[in-house]
Amino acid sequence: MKIIIKNSSEQPLYQQIKDQIKGAILRQELKEGEKLPSIRSLANDLHVSVLTTKRVYEELEKEGFIITIVGKGSFVASENMEMLLESKRHLVEKKLSEVWQMARTLGINKEELYSMMDIIFEEDDE
Amino acid sequence: MLLHLVKKDLILAKKYLLVMLIFAIVAPIFINSKLGLSNGSFISFLTTVLFVEYILFNMISFQEDKYKGAALLCTTPYTRNGVIKAKYVFILVIFIACFLLYNLAAVIGASYGLTRLSIYSVGVALLIISVFFGILIPVQTKFGYEKTKYIFLIMIFLTPFTLPTIIEWYQSIDININIDLPIPQSIKDWIPFAIAVLMGLISMIISIRIYSRKNL
Amino acid sequence: MKAVLEVNNLKKELGSFSLEQLTFSLKEGCITGFIGVNGSGKTTTIKTILGLYPKDDGSIKFFGKDMEKNEYEIKNRIGVVLDEGYFYEEMTLKEMKSIIAPAYTNWDESVFLNYINRFNLKLNQKIATLSKGMRMKFAITLALSHHADLLIMDEPTSGLDPLIRNELMEILLDFMEEEGKSVFFSTHITSDLEKVADMLILIDNGKIVFNESKDELLERHALIKGDNRLINEHSTKLFLRLRQTPFGFEGITNKVDQVCEQMKDIIIERPSIEDVMLAYVKER
Repeated sequence: MKIIIKNSSEQPLYQQIKDQIKGAILRQELKEGEKLPSIRSLANDLHVSVLTTKRVYEELEKEGFIITIVGKGSFVASENMEMLLESKRHLVEKKLSEVWQMARTLGINKEELYSMMDIIFEEDDE
Repeated sequence: MLLHLVKKDLILAKKYLLVMLIFAIVAPIFINSKLGLSNGSFISFLTTVLFVEYILFNMISFQEDKYKGAALLCTTPYTRNGVIKAKYVFILVIFIACFLLYNLAAVIGASYGLTRLSIYSVGVALLIISVFFGILIPVQTKFGYEKTKYIFLIMIFLTPFTLPTIIEWYQSIDININIDLPIPQSIKDWIPFAIAVLMGLISMIISIRIYSRKNL
Repeated sequence: MKAVLEVNNLKKELGSFSLEQLTFSLKEGCITGFIGVNGSGKTTTIKTILGLYPKDDGSIKFFGKDMEKNEYEIKNRIGVVLDEGYFYEEMTLKEMKSIIAPAYTNWDESVFLNYINRFNLKLNQKIATLSKGMRMKFAITLALSHHADLLIMDEPTSGLDPLIRNELMEILLDFMEEEGKSVFFSTHITSDLEKVADMLILIDNGKIVFNESKDELLERHALIKGDNRLINEHSTKLFLRLRQTPFGFEGITNKVDQVCEQMKDIIIERPSIEDVMLAYVKER
C-alpha cells in the first residue's frame, strides 16, 4: 500500500490518510482479512501523530471498511460487494459533481468537459 | 533498600575507606602511647572514631553536594526519608567497624598499654558521636554542605584540646551519678547506649522533616 | 485514551519564578513534547511533578493515583532522565547501576545489558569520562531497564549532535511499539518533535499555553507569505506573529479561513512547531 502525505494540501492529514487507505481497499490492494499496521507503527512511518492514525482507523471502522479486534489489531472487513461498488461509484460521483460545479462557474460547457476527460484518458493510456 | 543506600555511601567514600580502616587500627595505639594517661584507651578510641567518621562523612557530603545524586535517587523508588536514614545508619556502621578494629588494635598494642573497653565506655563514645552527628546532619541538611563545613571544621580542630577537659569534668560528675541511681550495674552500663540511640532517632526525625521541604 | 498523568492547579514558587495553576494531562500511548523557551518553567514543572521540588498547592496523579500516597508504586512504573544526569561522577557505570537497580521491584538485568551492548557502553568506565551523548544513553539505559510504563525526560537532546538526537528518537519510537507505554519529554529543540510527538504542550512564563494533538495544532495554524500591500490595520489582527521585510511579509495565523477570504495572492504553508511556538511566546 502506498500512502503519500502532502504537507501543502488543504486537506487535513487524517483525511488524506483515510482516503488513501480507503482507495487501497476499494482497488483491492488490501485484501479482505488482511492485517493493517498498528496505529503506532503507521504513525511512526508516516511521521504523524498516533492520535491522527487512531482517528483514521476509527472512522474507517465506522464506515465499515475495517474491523478492529482488541489486542489483535485492525483488519480489512469482509467484502460486501454491493457496499463496495456503491461507495466506489459514490466516491467518483462526488468528485465529478465537484468538477462539474467548478466547470460551470468557470463557464466551461459539457462538450469541453467531455473532451478534457478524453484527453486525460488518452494520456493515462500512454 | 536502606542498605543499598548505605552501600552507595561506602562506594562514595571508597578512596579513603582503606586508609581510614588502617588508621582505625594504628591511631589508637599511637595516641595512647603519646598520651600516657590512665584512661588513655578510651580517649584514643573516641578521637579515632571521631576522626574516621568525620573524614568519611565529609567525603560523602562533598560528593553529594557536587553531583546532586540524591535528586536522581529520589526519582527512583528510593525516598527522601531513606536517603536521610542511610546517613545515620552509615555513621553506626562505621562506628561498629571502628570498634571491631579497635579490639584488634588492643590485641596488637597491648604492650603499649592499650586495653579493651568496657561496655559503658563504648556507650559513652557512641553517645558523643551521636551528639556530634546528631547536630551535624540536621545542620548540614538545612544549610547545605559549604556553610556547614566551616562551622564544623573549627569544632573538629578544637576537639583534641577540649576533649580531655570535658572527659575529666565528665568523670568527676560520673561518681555522683553512680551514687544517685539505685539500679543494677548491668543495666546502668547500657544507659549511654540508650541515650545515644534516642538522640540519634530524634536528630533523624528532625533531619527528615527538614529534608522533606528541600528542593532537590 | 486513559490519562497517565493528571496535573491539576499545580502551584510552585521558586524565588522570583512561579508556576501558576498548572493544569494538563498526558494521554496513554502518546509521546508528548513539552516545549517552551529557556526559563519558561519546563524543568521546574518536571521536578515538581516528580516530587523533587515540594509543590505549594494542587494535585498530581500518575496512572489515576495520587503521587503522595502511592509514591513507591508510581516510581516503580516511571523511568526518569534528568537534564544534567545527576550521576555520581566518580563511580563506574557498574557501581551506579548497583545502586539504582535494587530500588526497583521489576529491574530486568537482561534488558539493561542489552542496552549497554547496543550503545557500546563499558561497565567499568567512570561516569566522569563519558561523553555527553554516552551519558544520555546511559541515563536512558537506567530509565528503561525496569519496564517503565511512562518515561519522563528533561531536555534529553540538548547539546547533542543531530545524529545522536536522531538515534534517541528511534529509541523512543521502539519503546512506544509496546502497548500502553507513554513518553513525556521537554525540549527547546522542537525539530526533534516534528517526527515523533503525538501531543504538544507549550509552557510560557510558568503557564500552559496549549495542550493539543500535534497534527491538529499544525493544521489549525498556517504560515502565510505575501506582499506588504496586504498588511493593514485590519489584517494585522489576523496574525499571531507578523514579520515584515522590504520584500514582503511572513506571518503565523490561527484564522486560516479568514485570511484566505480576505487576502489574495498569498502563499499558505504548513508551519513548523517552532513557528507556532514562537507565535505564542511573549517577548521578555
